[in-house]
Amino acid sequence: MRSTIWYRQRYLLLMSIPGVLLVLIFKYFPMYGILIAFKNYDVAAGILQSPWVGLKHFYAFFNNPFSWRIIKNTFLLGLYSLFWGFPAPLILALLLNEVKKRFFKRWVQTIVYFPHFLSVVIIVGFLKEFAALDGLFNQIGGWFGAEAAPLLAKPEYFRTLFIGSSIWQSVGWGTIIYLAALSGVDEALHEAAIIDGANRWQRLWNVTWPAILPATTILLILSLGGIVSTDFQKVLLLYNPSIYETADVIDTYVYRQGILGAQYEYSTAVGLMLSVISFLFVTIGNWISRKFSETSLW
Amino acid sequence: MRHYDRGLSSKVFDACNYVFLTALCIVMLYPLANTLAVSLSSPDKIIRGEVGWFPRGFNLEGYRYVFADSSIWTAFGNTVGYALVGTLIMLLVTSLTAYPLAIPGFVLRKFITIFILITMFFGGGLIPTYLLIRKMGMLDTFWVMVIPGAISAYNVILFRTFFKSIPKDLWESAYVDGANDFRILFQIYLPLSKALLATFGLFGIVGAWNGWFDALIYLNDETKYPIQMLLRKMIMETDSSSMNAQTFEMMATMKVHSKNIKMSTVMVTIIPILFIFPFLQKYFVTGFMLGSVKG
Repeated sequence: MRSTIWYRQRYLLLMSIPGVLLVLIFKYFPMYGILIAFKNYDVAAGILQSPWVGLKHFYAFFNNPFSWRIIKNTFLLGLYSLFWGFPAPLILALLLNEVKKRFFKRWVQTIVYFPHFLSVVIIVGFLKEFAALDGLFNQIGGWFGAEAAPLLAKPEYFRTLFIGSSIWQSVGWGTIIYLAALSGVDEALHEAAIIDGANRWQRLWNVTWPAILPATTILLILSLGGIVSTDFQKVLLLYNPSIYETADVIDTYVYRQGILGAQYEYSTAVGLMLSVISFLFVTIGNWISRKFSETSLW
Repeated sequence: MRHYDRGLSSKVFDACNYVFLTALCIVMLYPLANTLAVSLSSPDKIIRGEVGWFPRGFNLEGYRYVFADSSIWTAFGNTVGYALVGTLIMLLVTSLTAYPLAIPGFVLRKFITIFILITMFFGGGLIPTYLLIRKMGMLDTFWVMVIPGAISAYNVILFRTFFKSIPKDLWESAYVDGANDFRILFQIYLPLSKALLATFGLFGIVGAWNGWFDALIYLNDETKYPIQMLLRKMIMETDSSSMNAQTFEMMATMKVHSKNIKMSTVMVTIIPILFIFPFLQKYFVTGFMLGSVKG
């Protein structure tokens, strides 16, 4: 007994207990709870004893007149976020990399990093202030002859405000990984390129760009998976019924139906569909990347 | 090598680059400067929209109001509690879980690694998690804010990778000298992992400080609210576009505008982050580099 590996490693086993228990309870039990998407959940009877209803809740979702709207909103918000939000930190990092005055560079970096550490609540507070009828955005619009309007009550402005403020908050933080990759570029490569007569643009394309390509690819794959999982906490703070037309996404819908409306089975089913789609997106992104380059997540 | 860039187009580019980056900094700073300015301005100037970069008609009433409000103090206390206790539990549990996974001969190493990795790709989602927490009777408790988030696959993997980089000789000689694994972890590994602990500790505290969504779904009792929930209430309630001329008149004669109070609260919430920002900055790259090391 005393010589078994289990006994010899008893301390290691003991250490693993709290972590394994927490993962089991707070990560695996909810996975098991997904079963209620196929059941009529009876709180008293518990998950196992509740009667099966098959795909009833999934049919209910697709027969809902709003389901198309929230699917469309989720995809569009994700796609536009990726389209505008992904290149922004990359471009900023390249511009910062061209700055020769170290003092200036450090200051710019410090200032653009800071918004990352502000809470979503504060960002939304800024946005509500600036987008109000008498706010900054309307004042600026006024110079160009635009009519003042409460912008957050207009469905057509929601995506612009949402994505714009996200870029404002995270563009600086996003540069860190690119700048780290750029700092690994051997100066000798630049010097060799200069001797060969390469101008600044050619060096950007032939020396700098290959250095950050792997990081860019990995980040792009990751954000492909994130297309359908928008920052719904921010949407939840920003939206109101008058702009549901563009602002309501799957996650906010799940929150309203599930937590506020107590339709647990139905909203679990909707949430499950979203996770499956999201997982498919990462897998597809990874497959494409492995096919066309050497970089992939797995 | 950069002194080779002396051509005219190169100089034009540099000039544009400096102008652009300066403009970017102005855009980044304005919301913060404006918040500070409004929090310190007098109500009539705020109503006329005259406050931009600097305070107009100096006024501290907003801050006086905020500091006199006991619900704000309670929320601050709650947030500090959640942030410190939550981060400590997170660091402790993550270290305990990651250490055995870094020891080569551990029997359950493969099993536990896969067990934890799976949760990186699959999860139960919002509603099943909520139902579980409710069933466990954790709604409206202190623990709901610190326990469920204590472990994440991502953190465990990063800790394990870091522990693996510590030379095995240290572990072996301590083991031969009769130290058990708890002693090795707490007296050798953790003291060598200060950068790791500082990074995750600081980022954990900031995350807890800024969090509000867990409180929204798990807490009904307002005396347990963290500060962001209070801020959320203020931001959701006051909508300046719905104010009519009469309320404008009323506000102008008062000593304090609702925006004074709102912006003062925002400032009071931001200031602690400003204080730890220089410390955070020291660990930005460490944090990011840890993320880029393959597990």
